[in-house]
Amino acid sequence: MEHERMSAVPEELPPEELSPEGEALLHGEPPRVPKQKSKLKQREHLTALAFISVKYVGLIVFTVLPVFFALLYSLTNYNGIIVSAGGGSFLDRFTSLWNNFKNYTDLFGSVMYSDAFRQAILNNVIFLLGVPLGIVGGLVIAVVLSRDDIIRGSRVFRLLIYVPVVSSAVAMNIIWRYIFDNEYGIVNMMFGLNIPWLTDAAWIKVAIILKEAWGSLGKTMVLCLAALTNVGKDYYEAAELDGAGEITKFLKISVPLITPTLFYLLITGMIGNLQSYVDSDVFANGLPGAQTIVYFIWSFGIRRSYYGIASAASVILTIAILIITEIQFRVQDKWVYSE
Amino acid sequence: MEEHEQHARTKRSPSRVIGITIAYLFLIAMCFTCLFPFLWMLLSSVKTPSEMQNSITLTFFSKTPQWDNYLKVFEKQNIFRGLLNTLIVEVGTIPLCVFFSGLSAFAFSKLDMKHKNVHLMIQLSALMIPYACVVLPLYRAYFKLGLVNTLWPLILPSMFGGVSMMFFFIQFQRGIPSAIFEAAKVDGAGYFTQYCVIMLPLMGPAVAAQVIFMFVGNWNDYFAPSLYLTEDRMKTLQVMLKALSSGAKGELPVAFAGAVVSCIPLYVIYLFFQRFFIEGMAISGIKG
Repeated sequence: MEHERMSAVPEELPPEELSPEGEALLHGEPPRVPKQKSKLKQREHLTALAFISVKYVGLIVFTVLPVFFALLYSLTNYNGIIVSAGGGSFLDRFTSLWNNFKNYTDLFGSVMYSDAFRQAILNNVIFLLGVPLGIVGGLVIAVVLSRDDIIRGSRVFRLLIYVPVVSSAVAMNIIWRYIFDNEYGIVNMMFGLNIPWLTDAAWIKVAIILKEAWGSLGKTMVLCLAALTNVGKDYYEAAELDGAGEITKFLKISVPLITPTLFYLLITGMIGNLQSYVDSDVFANGLPGAQTIVYFIWSFGIRRSYYGIASAASVILTIAILIITEIQFRVQDKWVYSE
Repeated sequence: MEEHEQHARTKRSPSRVIGITIAYLFLIAMCFTCLFPFLWMLLSSVKTPSEMQNSITLTFFSKTPQWDNYLKVFEKQNIFRGLLNTLIVEVGTIPLCVFFSGLSAFAFSKLDMKHKNVHLMIQLSALMIPYACVVLPLYRAYFKLGLVNTLWPLILPSMFGGVSMMFFFIQFQRGIPSAIFEAAKVDGAGYFTQYCVIMLPLMGPAVAAQVIFMFVGNWNDYFAPSLYLTEDRMKTLQVMLKALSSGAKGELPVAFAGAVVSCIPLYVIYLFFQRFFIEGMAISGIKG
């Protein structure tokens, strides 16, 4: 193993951290390493590996192996029963179920799954609208609260607006379901509306987008507030001298200077939103117009034991999330250096 | 400072007063929007079914508050069982998760290790995998091991430490001077002793923030518990709530009483430890 080939100079250390021995090596002198020290170093490396080994066990058992099996399932028509019944080695049993990329093509082409899956993708994409809505709302609150020279009690406002973030998601969905109820929901009653929020495929999406935005206000507010306090006051003073109004200052100074925070919120919000399940299960009670990809995975994988097709869906979801994460890394690097 | 105040005073024009009023109104409206669902839940939890679920007899405030909705949720629905199951998960996960996350973080922050960055990148990459990706194979594995309808599927994954918790601890531990550990080394303390005796006690604030985060996360977790726990006696609080709310129509007020019960511990924790919530979030958000 790598760590057993110990030398006094770890290759990956940056030059400025080179030990005196390393310095000597660089200058072409023969290494004169005291044996005692080298042994101690070796012990330190091994201990460090032992310390992180627990974490590695967790990583392998609960992430690496399951991902491997999810990929494997997605290429078979495994349904949980056939494998246990068949004989032969583990791989033999799997190869007998092999169906190449049929699950992936079925997800988009077969009458059995494609309707539900396309619907789930569409729903997920529409629900993403809740993310920017929540960001805009939270940002406006943060900008108002950041003017602590004129707004009193900003701590209390902050405390109260953050409450939805710490509330139990199931409890909140139960109450939202009641608030949006078609017959006796307070929304319809108060505004004299007659909107079928909970049964109409389009209206329930509106309700979920509003609900999602509501749920993320607190998080956005806190992060934007932290970012806004780092913006120098002199920018605003200079703008005031030029006669800029509040809205101009907001659009021309605040927003551009905290773009990295807004972008971070957008990305993490999208990743979280793509994995939403409670909305479909508790709020919409499984209404097809509100089923998400994760709901699809649950409904086909766990409920009906179509592990192959559900795993293919989970692989597609994972790839989408990996792409979004990759975009985040690329764009963030750019911003960090341009600042 | 004085100059600044004078500046503010000269600008107290009528349009500015209107602006400030609008700002306050906006904030109050936002607070109301954020609190309304909880208030509505609280008010509805003591209503009779007809006060709640009939558009003609619907009221804002219950005429005869049905306090026994709360008794019902404890007696008939046995929400104690749900509370107990949730608490078992909390106690089963948090201590080990904190200990092992901190131990790995100690290796990353204070010990010399070959290819440290590679190891760190491998660990962090786990954050990119959504739970939905690993859930089907895990479900099969738990099913084969007979662990469905036990609390183990919720406890086992956290027992080995969490990635984001480890990352948070690494950031914190880097701020602790290494000289302390050098001194301990001279005194002959092993690395494990250094971690247990010196590092862990110094990690107080970071541990507190992470424990609270994890407590709330476990408390509110729904997806995984709803998959693994289908028998009533094994359900955690959240899964029980969902079952309550989709039960018979007349039982909705009781379900709301249950929802209030499930929210109150969180609000109490939030009120006492708000500093950790808001600061912890701001820190993790900026650095992570």
